[in-house]
Amino acid sequence: MATMQMDRSNLWDVSSRVIVYAAIGAALYAVTAPLSFLIPGTESVSIRPSFAFVTFFGFAFGPIVGLFTGLVGNMIGDQLSGWGLLTSWNWSVAIGLVGLLAGLTPTYLRSWMNDRGRMLAAAAIGSAIATIVGLLFVFTDIILGTTEDFNSALTVNYVPAVISDLVTVVILTPILVAAWQPVKEQLGR
Amino acid sequence: MNVTPRYLGRGSWLSRRDPRVLILAIVLFVFATVQVWDARLAIVLFAIALLYYRSARIPWRAVRFNWLYVLVFIGFIVTTNTIITGGQLRETTGDALHVYFNLPLFGTPVSAESVSYAVTQLLRFLSMAAIGFPVAFAVAPGDIGVAFARLRIPERFAYAIDLTFRFIPSLAADVRTTIDAQRIRGYDYEKAGRGPIGRVRRTVPILVPVAINAIVGAEDTIDAMDLRAFGTHRRTWLRALVYDRTDRLVLGGFIGLFVVVTILAFNGASRLYVLPFLIP
Repeated sequence: MATMQMDRSNLWDVSSRVIVYAAIGAALYAVTAPLSFLIPGTESVSIRPSFAFVTFFGFAFGPIVGLFTGLVGNMIGDQLSGWGLLTSWNWSVAIGLVGLLAGLTPTYLRSWMNDRGRMLAAAAIGSAIATIVGLLFVFTDIILGTTEDFNSALTVNYVPAVISDLVTVVILTPILVAAWQPVKEQLGR
Repeated sequence: MNVTPRYLGRGSWLSRRDPRVLILAIVLFVFATVQVWDARLAIVLFAIALLYYRSARIPWRAVRFNWLYVLVFIGFIVTTNTIITGGQLRETTGDALHVYFNLPLFGTPVSAESVSYAVTQLLRFLSMAAIGFPVAFAVAPGDIGVAFARLRIPERFAYAIDLTFRFIPSLAADVRTTIDAQRIRGYDYEKAGRGPIGRVRRTVPILVPVAINAIVGAEDTIDAMDLRAFGTHRRTWLRALVYDRTDRLVLGGFIGLFVVVTILAFNGASRLYVLPFLIP
Protein backbone atom coordinates (compact mmCIF):
# COMPACT_ATOMS: atom_id res chain seq x y z
CA MET A 1 0.00 0.00 0.00
CA ALA A 2 1.04 3.58 -0.56
CA THR A 3 1.09 4.33 3.15
CA MET A 4 2.97 1.14 3.89
CA GLN A 5 5.87 2.69 2.02
CA MET A 6 5.58 5.89 4.03
CA ASP A 7 7.77 6.34 7.03
CA ARG A 8 6.68 8.54 9.89
CA SER A 9 8.66 11.54 8.65
CA ASN A 10 6.73 11.95 5.38
CA LEU A 11 3.36 10.85 6.72
CA TRP A 12 2.21 14.46 7.02
CA ASP A 13 3.58 15.78 3.70
CA VAL A 14 0.96 17.48 1.53
CA SER A 15 2.10 16.71 -2.00
CA SER A 16 0.13 17.01 -5.25
CA ARG A 17 -0.65 13.29 -4.91
CA VAL A 18 -2.12 13.78 -1.43
CA ILE A 19 -4.19 16.75 -2.61
CA VAL A 20 -5.66 14.89 -5.58
CA TYR A 21 -6.41 11.68 -3.68
CA ALA A 22 -7.98 13.73 -0.88
CA ALA A 23 -10.19 15.58 -3.36
CA ILE A 24 -11.18 12.31 -5.07
CA GLY A 25 -11.99 10.72 -1.72
CA ALA A 26 -14.11 13.65 -0.55
CA ALA A 27 -15.95 13.84 -3.89
CA LEU A 28 -16.60 10.07 -3.88
CA TYR A 29 -17.91 10.24 -0.31
CA ALA A 30 -20.24 13.12 -1.22
CA VAL A 31 -21.61 11.64 -4.47
CA THR A 32 -22.21 8.15 -3.08
CA ALA A 33 -23.83 9.40 0.15
CA PRO A 34 -27.35 8.93 -1.33
CA LEU A 35 -26.71 5.16 -1.53
CA SER A 36 -27.52 4.98 2.21
CA PHE A 37 -30.39 2.82 3.43
CA LEU A 38 -32.21 2.21 6.71
CA ILE A 39 -31.69 -1.05 8.56
CA PRO A 40 -35.04 -2.86 8.31
CA GLY A 41 -37.00 -2.68 11.55
CA THR A 42 -35.31 0.49 12.78
CA GLU A 43 -36.24 4.11 12.27
CA SER A 44 -32.92 5.74 12.87
CA VAL A 45 -30.04 3.46 11.99
CA SER A 46 -29.03 3.98 8.40
CA ILE A 47 -26.11 2.21 6.77
CA ARG A 48 -23.87 4.46 4.71
CA PRO A 49 -21.73 2.44 2.28
CA SER A 50 -19.96 5.66 1.30
CA PHE A 51 -18.45 5.78 4.80
CA ALA A 52 -16.02 3.05 3.71
CA PHE A 53 -14.30 5.58 1.46
CA VAL A 54 -13.16 7.50 4.52
CA THR A 55 -11.34 4.53 6.03
CA PHE A 56 -10.17 3.20 2.68
CA PHE A 57 -8.64 6.49 1.53
CA GLY A 58 -7.05 6.93 4.95
CA PHE A 59 -5.66 3.39 4.97
CA ALA A 60 -4.47 3.49 1.36
CA PHE A 61 -3.17 7.05 1.06
CA GLY A 62 -2.40 8.28 4.57
CA PRO A 63 -3.88 10.26 7.44
CA ILE A 64 -4.10 13.63 5.65
CA VAL A 65 -6.12 12.09 2.82
CA GLY A 66 -8.34 10.26 5.34
CA LEU A 67 -8.91 13.41 7.37
CA PHE A 68 -9.82 15.45 4.31
CA THR A 69 -12.05 12.73 2.85
CA GLY A 70 -14.09 12.51 6.04
CA LEU A 71 -14.13 16.18 7.00
CA VAL A 72 -14.72 17.82 3.63
CA GLY A 73 -16.64 14.90 2.10
CA ASN A 74 -19.18 14.96 4.91
CA MET A 75 -19.46 18.76 4.82
CA ILE A 76 -20.05 18.76 1.07
CA GLY A 77 -22.48 15.83 1.32
CA ASP A 78 -24.44 17.73 3.97
CA GLN A 79 -24.30 20.85 1.85
CA LEU A 80 -25.58 19.13 -1.28
CA SER A 81 -28.42 17.51 0.66
CA GLY A 82 -29.45 20.91 2.02
CA TRP A 83 -28.54 20.18 5.63
CA GLY A 84 -25.82 22.83 5.53
CA LEU A 85 -22.05 22.95 5.43
CA LEU A 86 -21.59 23.59 9.15
CA THR A 87 -24.93 22.63 10.75
CA SER A 88 -23.35 19.38 12.00
CA TRP A 89 -19.73 20.50 11.80
CA ASN A 90 -18.75 18.38 14.79
CA TRP A 91 -19.94 15.23 12.95
CA SER A 92 -17.75 16.20 10.00
CA VAL A 93 -14.80 16.58 12.36
CA ALA A 94 -15.60 13.17 13.89
CA ILE A 95 -15.67 11.51 10.47
CA GLY A 96 -12.44 13.31 9.56
CA LEU A 97 -10.87 11.87 12.72
CA VAL A 98 -11.97 8.40 11.64
CA GLY A 99 -10.10 8.87 8.34
CA LEU A 100 -7.05 10.26 10.11
CA LEU A 101 -6.89 7.33 12.54
CA ALA A 102 -7.43 4.81 9.74
CA GLY A 103 -4.53 6.48 7.95
CA LEU A 104 -2.23 5.87 10.89
CA THR A 105 -3.00 2.14 10.99
CA PRO A 106 -0.63 0.94 8.20
CA THR A 107 2.27 2.94 9.62
CA TYR A 108 1.97 1.46 13.08
CA LEU A 109 1.14 -2.07 11.87
CA ARG A 110 3.69 -2.14 9.03
CA SER A 111 5.83 -4.88 10.54
CA TRP A 112 2.77 -7.02 11.24
CA MET A 113 1.22 -6.69 7.74
CA ASN A 114 3.67 -8.99 5.99
CA ASP A 115 1.16 -10.89 3.84
CA ARG A 116 -2.04 -10.15 1.96
CA GLY A 117 -4.36 -11.78 4.50
CA ARG A 118 -2.91 -9.82 7.38
CA MET A 119 -3.06 -6.59 5.40
CA LEU A 120 -6.77 -7.08 4.74
CA ALA A 121 -7.31 -7.98 8.40
CA ALA A 122 -5.45 -4.82 9.40
CA ALA A 123 -7.67 -2.82 7.03
CA ALA A 124 -10.79 -4.19 8.72
CA ILE A 125 -9.55 -3.99 12.32
CA GLY A 126 -7.83 -0.62 11.89
CA SER A 127 -10.94 0.83 10.27
CA ALA A 128 -13.15 -0.55 13.03
CA ILE A 129 -10.98 0.91 15.79
CA ALA A 130 -10.74 4.23 13.94
CA THR A 131 -14.54 4.33 13.67
CA ILE A 132 -15.10 3.54 17.35
CA VAL A 133 -12.52 6.10 18.52
CA GLY A 134 -13.07 8.84 15.94
CA LEU A 135 -16.82 8.98 16.38
CA LEU A 136 -16.36 9.68 20.10
CA PHE A 137 -16.11 13.30 18.97
CA VAL A 138 -19.89 13.32 18.37
CA PHE A 139 -20.33 13.59 22.14
CA THR A 140 -19.60 17.27 21.58
CA ASP A 141 -23.30 17.38 20.66
CA ILE A 142 -23.87 17.67 24.42
CA ILE A 143 -21.76 20.84 24.63
CA LEU A 144 -23.38 22.27 21.49
CA GLY A 145 -26.86 21.55 22.83
CA THR A 146 -27.84 19.40 19.85
CA THR A 147 -28.31 16.52 22.27
CA GLU A 148 -29.55 17.03 25.76
CA ASP A 149 -27.44 14.67 27.84
CA PHE A 150 -24.93 11.81 27.77
CA ASN A 151 -27.69 9.19 27.66
CA SER A 152 -29.25 10.63 24.50
CA ALA A 153 -25.86 11.24 22.89
CA LEU A 154 -24.97 7.61 23.51
CA THR A 155 -28.24 5.94 22.52
CA VAL A 156 -29.42 8.27 19.74
CA ASN A 157 -26.13 9.31 18.17
CA TYR A 158 -23.02 7.36 19.04
CA VAL A 159 -24.14 3.73 19.28
CA PRO A 160 -26.34 3.68 16.12
CA ALA A 161 -23.65 5.51 14.13
CA VAL A 162 -20.88 3.19 15.31
CA ILE A 163 -22.91 0.02 14.68
CA SER A 164 -23.96 1.03 11.18
CA ASP A 165 -20.52 2.34 10.23
CA LEU A 166 -18.79 -0.73 11.63
CA VAL A 167 -20.91 -2.96 9.39
CA THR A 168 -19.82 -0.84 6.45
CA VAL A 169 -16.11 -0.48 7.14
CA VAL A 170 -15.48 -4.06 8.22
CA ILE A 171 -17.00 -5.36 4.98
CA LEU A 172 -16.12 -2.73 2.41
CA THR A 173 -12.69 -1.42 3.44
CA PRO A 174 -10.85 -4.75 2.94
CA ILE A 175 -12.70 -5.26 -0.36
CA LEU A 176 -11.60 -1.82 -1.59
CA VAL A 177 -8.04 -2.46 -0.37
CA ALA A 178 -7.98 -5.86 -2.11
CA ALA A 179 -9.26 -4.28 -5.34
CA TRP A 180 -6.76 -1.41 -5.20
CA GLN A 181 -3.66 -3.49 -4.43
CA PRO A 182 -3.16 -5.08 -7.90
CA VAL A 183 -4.03 -1.82 -9.65
CA LYS A 184 -1.45 0.00 -7.55
CA GLU A 185 1.21 -2.52 -8.49
CA GLN A 186 0.20 -2.26 -12.15
CA LEU A 187 0.57 1.52 -11.97
CA GLY A 188 3.96 1.12 -10.31
CA ARG A 189 2.97 3.14 -7.23
CA MET B 1 -29.72 10.90 -8.10
CA ASN B 2 -28.64 14.49 -8.68
CA VAL B 3 -25.80 15.34 -6.36
CA THR B 4 -23.95 17.84 -8.50
CA PRO B 5 -23.74 21.43 -7.25
CA ARG B 6 -26.57 23.54 -8.68
CA TYR B 7 -26.23 27.30 -9.01
CA LEU B 8 -29.93 27.97 -8.45
CA GLY B 9 -29.60 31.41 -6.90
CA ARG B 10 -27.72 32.85 -9.86
CA GLY B 11 -28.39 36.57 -10.25
CA SER B 12 -29.96 37.00 -6.79
CA TRP B 13 -28.90 39.68 -4.33
CA LEU B 14 -27.10 37.10 -2.21
CA SER B 15 -25.30 35.50 -5.16
CA ARG B 16 -23.80 38.90 -5.94
CA ARG B 17 -22.16 38.99 -2.52
CA ASP B 18 -18.55 37.97 -2.06
CA PRO B 19 -18.69 34.18 -1.40
CA ARG B 20 -16.59 34.70 1.73
CA VAL B 21 -19.53 36.59 3.22
CA LEU B 22 -21.80 33.55 2.83
CA ILE B 23 -19.25 31.23 4.42
CA LEU B 24 -18.51 33.57 7.33
CA ALA B 25 -22.24 34.21 7.79
CA ILE B 26 -22.81 30.50 8.38
CA VAL B 27 -19.97 30.26 10.89
CA LEU B 28 -21.14 33.31 12.86
CA PHE B 29 -24.81 32.33 12.72
CA VAL B 30 -24.28 28.69 13.71
CA PHE B 31 -22.10 29.64 16.68
CA ALA B 32 -24.65 32.26 17.71
CA THR B 33 -27.62 29.90 17.38
CA VAL B 34 -26.16 26.99 19.36
CA GLN B 35 -26.03 29.25 22.42
CA VAL B 36 -29.75 30.00 22.36
CA TRP B 37 -32.45 28.09 24.25
CA ASP B 38 -34.84 31.00 24.71
CA ALA B 39 -37.66 30.43 22.20
CA ARG B 40 -38.28 34.18 21.86
CA LEU B 41 -34.73 34.77 20.66
CA ALA B 42 -34.86 31.59 18.55
CA ILE B 43 -37.88 33.04 16.72
CA VAL B 44 -35.92 36.23 15.99
CA LEU B 45 -32.98 34.19 14.66
CA PHE B 46 -35.37 32.10 12.57
CA ALA B 47 -36.86 35.27 11.05
CA ILE B 48 -33.37 36.57 10.21
CA ALA B 49 -32.47 33.20 8.64
CA LEU B 50 -35.64 33.20 6.52
CA LEU B 51 -34.99 36.75 5.33
CA TYR B 52 -31.44 35.80 4.42
CA TYR B 53 -32.66 32.64 2.65
CA ARG B 54 -35.26 34.61 0.67
CA SER B 55 -32.57 36.97 -0.59
CA ALA B 56 -30.94 34.00 -2.38
CA ARG B 57 -34.11 33.52 -4.48
CA ILE B 58 -33.69 29.76 -4.66
CA PRO B 59 -36.65 28.27 -6.58
CA TRP B 60 -38.81 26.20 -4.22
CA ARG B 61 -39.50 23.47 -6.78
CA ALA B 62 -35.79 22.81 -7.21
CA VAL B 63 -35.08 22.33 -3.50
CA ARG B 64 -38.33 20.95 -2.09
CA PHE B 65 -36.84 17.46 -1.68
CA ASN B 66 -33.82 18.95 0.08
CA TRP B 67 -36.18 20.70 2.49
CA LEU B 68 -38.17 17.50 2.94
CA TYR B 69 -34.95 15.69 3.87
CA VAL B 70 -34.06 18.47 6.30
CA LEU B 71 -37.53 18.44 7.89
CA VAL B 72 -37.56 14.66 8.30
CA PHE B 73 -34.07 14.69 9.80
CA ILE B 74 -34.86 17.56 12.16
CA GLY B 75 -38.16 15.94 13.12
CA PHE B 76 -36.32 12.74 13.99
CA ILE B 77 -33.68 14.53 16.08
CA VAL B 78 -36.23 16.63 17.94
CA THR B 79 -38.55 13.69 18.63
CA THR B 80 -35.85 11.28 19.79
CA ASN B 81 -34.14 13.89 21.92
CA THR B 82 -37.41 14.79 23.60
CA ILE B 83 -38.29 11.14 24.23
CA ILE B 84 -34.85 9.89 25.26
CA THR B 85 -34.14 12.76 27.66
CA GLY B 86 -37.06 11.54 29.75
CA GLY B 87 -38.06 15.02 30.81
CA GLN B 88 -34.59 15.98 32.10
CA LEU B 89 -34.51 19.17 30.05
CA ARG B 90 -32.00 22.02 30.27
CA GLU B 91 -31.60 21.92 34.04
CA THR B 92 -35.37 21.56 34.49
CA THR B 93 -36.09 18.38 36.38
CA GLY B 94 -38.65 16.39 38.26
CA ASP B 95 -41.18 18.43 40.20
CA ALA B 96 -40.59 21.63 38.21
CA LEU B 97 -42.20 20.06 35.11
CA HIS B 98 -45.77 20.91 34.07
CA VAL B 99 -46.70 17.42 32.90
CA TYR B 100 -49.59 16.82 30.45
CA PHE B 101 -49.26 13.04 30.27
CA ASN B 102 -46.66 10.25 30.14
CA LEU B 103 -45.80 8.57 26.85
CA PRO B 104 -46.85 4.94 26.73
CA LEU B 105 -43.95 2.42 26.65
CA PHE B 106 -41.26 5.06 27.28
CA GLY B 107 -42.88 6.62 30.34
CA THR B 108 -41.40 9.97 29.33
CA PRO B 109 -43.39 12.91 30.64
CA VAL B 110 -44.72 15.24 27.93
CA SER B 111 -44.74 18.64 29.57
CA ALA B 112 -44.84 22.35 28.85
CA GLU B 113 -41.06 22.24 29.23
CA SER B 114 -40.52 19.38 26.79
CA VAL B 115 -42.80 20.99 24.17
CA SER B 116 -40.94 24.31 24.58
CA TYR B 117 -37.66 22.42 24.25
CA ALA B 118 -38.85 20.69 21.07
CA VAL B 119 -40.11 23.95 19.55
CA THR B 120 -36.86 25.76 20.35
CA GLN B 121 -34.74 22.95 18.96
CA LEU B 122 -36.87 22.86 15.80
CA LEU B 123 -36.38 26.61 15.34
CA ARG B 124 -32.64 26.34 15.93
CA PHE B 125 -32.17 23.62 13.32
CA LEU B 126 -34.46 25.25 10.75
CA SER B 127 -32.57 28.52 11.17
CA MET B 128 -29.19 26.85 10.65
CA ALA B 129 -30.46 24.93 7.61
CA ALA B 130 -31.93 28.10 6.07
CA ILE B 131 -28.63 29.93 6.50
CA GLY B 132 -26.76 26.95 5.02
CA PHE B 133 -28.79 26.56 1.81
CA PRO B 134 -27.39 29.65 0.03
CA VAL B 135 -23.81 28.35 0.16
CA ALA B 136 -24.97 25.27 -1.71
CA PHE B 137 -27.16 27.04 -4.23
CA ALA B 138 -26.15 30.71 -4.43
CA VAL B 139 -22.37 30.48 -4.74
CA ALA B 140 -20.83 29.74 -8.13
CA PRO B 141 -19.14 26.31 -7.73
CA GLY B 142 -15.93 27.72 -9.19
CA ASP B 143 -15.73 30.34 -6.44
CA ILE B 144 -15.66 27.93 -3.51
CA GLY B 145 -11.93 27.16 -3.62
CA VAL B 146 -10.83 30.74 -4.08
CA ALA B 147 -13.18 31.85 -1.29
CA PHE B 148 -11.56 29.44 1.17
CA ALA B 149 -8.09 30.45 -0.04
CA ARG B 150 -8.93 34.12 0.56
CA LEU B 151 -10.14 33.22 4.03
CA ARG B 152 -6.50 32.35 4.83
CA ILE B 153 -7.11 28.62 4.85
CA PRO B 154 -3.83 26.92 3.79
CA GLU B 155 -3.67 27.19 0.02
CA ARG B 156 -3.20 23.47 -0.58
CA PHE B 157 -6.27 22.72 1.51
CA ALA B 158 -8.22 25.38 -0.40
CA TYR B 159 -7.03 23.94 -3.69
CA ALA B 160 -8.14 20.46 -2.58
CA ILE B 161 -11.62 21.86 -1.82
CA ASP B 162 -11.68 23.47 -5.26
CA LEU B 163 -10.65 20.16 -6.86
CA THR B 164 -13.33 18.30 -4.89
CA PHE B 165 -16.05 20.50 -6.38
CA ARG B 166 -14.55 20.01 -9.84
CA PHE B 167 -14.52 16.21 -9.45
CA ILE B 168 -18.12 15.94 -8.19
CA PRO B 169 -19.96 16.29 -11.54
CA SER B 170 -17.77 13.75 -13.35
CA LEU B 171 -17.80 11.27 -10.46
CA ALA B 172 -21.57 11.61 -10.11
CA ALA B 173 -21.84 10.79 -13.82
CA ASP B 174 -19.52 7.80 -13.29
CA VAL B 175 -21.75 6.52 -10.47
CA ARG B 176 -24.87 6.82 -12.65
CA THR B 177 -23.11 5.10 -15.58
CA THR B 178 -21.89 2.27 -13.35
CA ILE B 179 -25.35 1.75 -11.83
CA ASP B 180 -26.88 1.65 -15.32
CA ALA B 181 -24.18 -0.70 -16.61
CA GLN B 182 -24.74 -3.11 -13.71
CA ARG B 183 -28.51 -2.98 -14.23
CA ILE B 184 -28.06 -3.92 -17.87
CA ARG B 185 -26.21 -7.00 -16.57
CA GLY B 186 -29.24 -7.81 -14.42
CA TYR B 187 -27.78 -6.51 -11.19
CA ASP B 188 -29.83 -4.19 -8.98
CA TYR B 189 -28.13 -2.83 -5.87
CA GLU B 190 -31.47 -1.58 -4.53
CA LYS B 191 -32.96 -5.04 -4.41
CA ALA B 192 -34.12 -5.70 -0.88
CA GLY B 193 -33.48 -8.79 1.24
CA ARG B 194 -30.47 -10.65 2.66
CA GLY B 195 -30.27 -8.24 5.61
CA PRO B 196 -28.06 -5.19 6.14
CA ILE B 197 -24.81 -7.08 5.49
CA GLY B 198 -26.20 -8.36 2.20
CA ARG B 199 -27.30 -4.85 1.27
CA VAL B 200 -23.82 -3.50 1.99
CA ARG B 201 -22.24 -6.25 -0.10
CA ARG B 202 -24.64 -5.41 -2.93
CA THR B 203 -23.03 -1.96 -3.22
CA VAL B 204 -19.61 -3.50 -3.97
CA PRO B 205 -20.16 -3.75 -7.77
CA ILE B 206 -20.99 -0.03 -7.74
CA LEU B 207 -18.43 1.36 -5.29
CA VAL B 208 -15.36 -0.63 -6.29
CA PRO B 209 -15.30 0.18 -10.03
CA VAL B 210 -16.19 3.82 -9.39
CA ALA B 211 -13.44 4.19 -6.77
CA ILE B 212 -10.73 2.37 -8.71
CA ASN B 213 -11.54 4.23 -11.95
CA ALA B 214 -11.45 7.54 -10.08
CA ILE B 215 -8.09 6.77 -8.49
CA VAL B 216 -6.56 5.57 -11.76
CA GLY B 217 -7.96 8.64 -13.53
CA ALA B 218 -6.47 10.84 -10.80
CA GLU B 219 -3.00 9.91 -12.00
CA ASP B 220 -3.48 12.21 -15.01
CA THR B 221 -4.39 15.11 -12.73
CA ILE B 222 -1.37 14.43 -10.51
CA ASP B 223 0.95 14.31 -13.52
CA ALA B 224 -0.52 17.53 -14.91
CA MET B 225 0.00 19.28 -11.57
CA ASP B 226 3.54 17.99 -11.20
CA LEU B 227 4.43 19.00 -14.77
CA ARG B 228 3.25 22.52 -13.95
CA ALA B 229 5.47 22.53 -10.84
CA PHE B 230 2.54 22.57 -8.42
CA GLY B 231 3.58 23.49 -4.91
CA THR B 232 7.00 24.91 -5.73
CA HIS B 233 5.77 28.51 -5.39
CA ARG B 234 2.95 30.28 -3.66
CA ARG B 235 -0.24 29.71 -5.64
CA THR B 236 -2.15 32.63 -7.13
CA TRP B 237 -5.81 32.61 -8.15
CA LEU B 238 -7.19 34.14 -11.32
CA ARG B 239 -10.51 35.06 -9.69
CA ALA B 240 -10.22 38.23 -7.64
CA LEU B 241 -12.53 38.69 -4.66
CA VAL B 242 -13.14 42.13 -3.19
CA TYR B 243 -15.60 43.06 -0.45
CA ASP B 244 -17.88 45.92 -1.48
CA ARG B 245 -19.75 48.16 0.95
CA THR B 246 -22.81 45.89 1.06
CA ASP B 247 -20.60 42.87 1.79
CA ARG B 248 -19.03 44.71 4.71
CA LEU B 249 -22.46 45.73 6.00
CA VAL B 250 -23.79 42.16 5.82
CA LEU B 251 -20.68 40.79 7.48
CA GLY B 252 -20.80 43.50 10.14
CA GLY B 253 -24.44 42.60 10.75
CA PHE B 254 -23.61 38.94 11.36
CA ILE B 255 -20.67 39.83 13.61
CA GLY B 256 -23.00 42.15 15.55
CA LEU B 257 -25.62 39.41 15.76
CA PHE B 258 -23.06 36.95 17.13
CA VAL B 259 -21.85 39.45 19.76
CA VAL B 260 -25.38 40.40 20.85
CA VAL B 261 -26.54 36.77 21.05
CA THR B 262 -23.43 35.82 23.05
CA ILE B 263 -24.11 38.64 25.53
CA LEU B 264 -27.78 37.60 25.78
CA ALA B 265 -26.75 33.96 26.25
CA PHE B 266 -24.63 34.97 29.25
CA ASN B 267 -27.67 36.79 30.59
CA GLY B 268 -30.25 34.02 30.39
CA ALA B 269 -30.90 33.25 26.71
CA SER B 270 -28.97 29.99 27.05
CA ARG B 271 -31.61 28.73 29.52
CA LEU B 272 -34.79 27.05 28.33
CA TYR B 273 -37.71 29.48 28.13
CA VAL B 274 -41.05 27.81 28.74
CA LEU B 275 -43.70 29.35 26.52
CA PRO B 276 -46.31 30.79 28.98
CA PHE B 277 -49.35 29.66 26.97
CA LEU B 278 -48.18 26.04 27.26
CA ILE B 279 -48.30 26.04 31.06
CA PRO B 280 -51.62 24.51 32.15
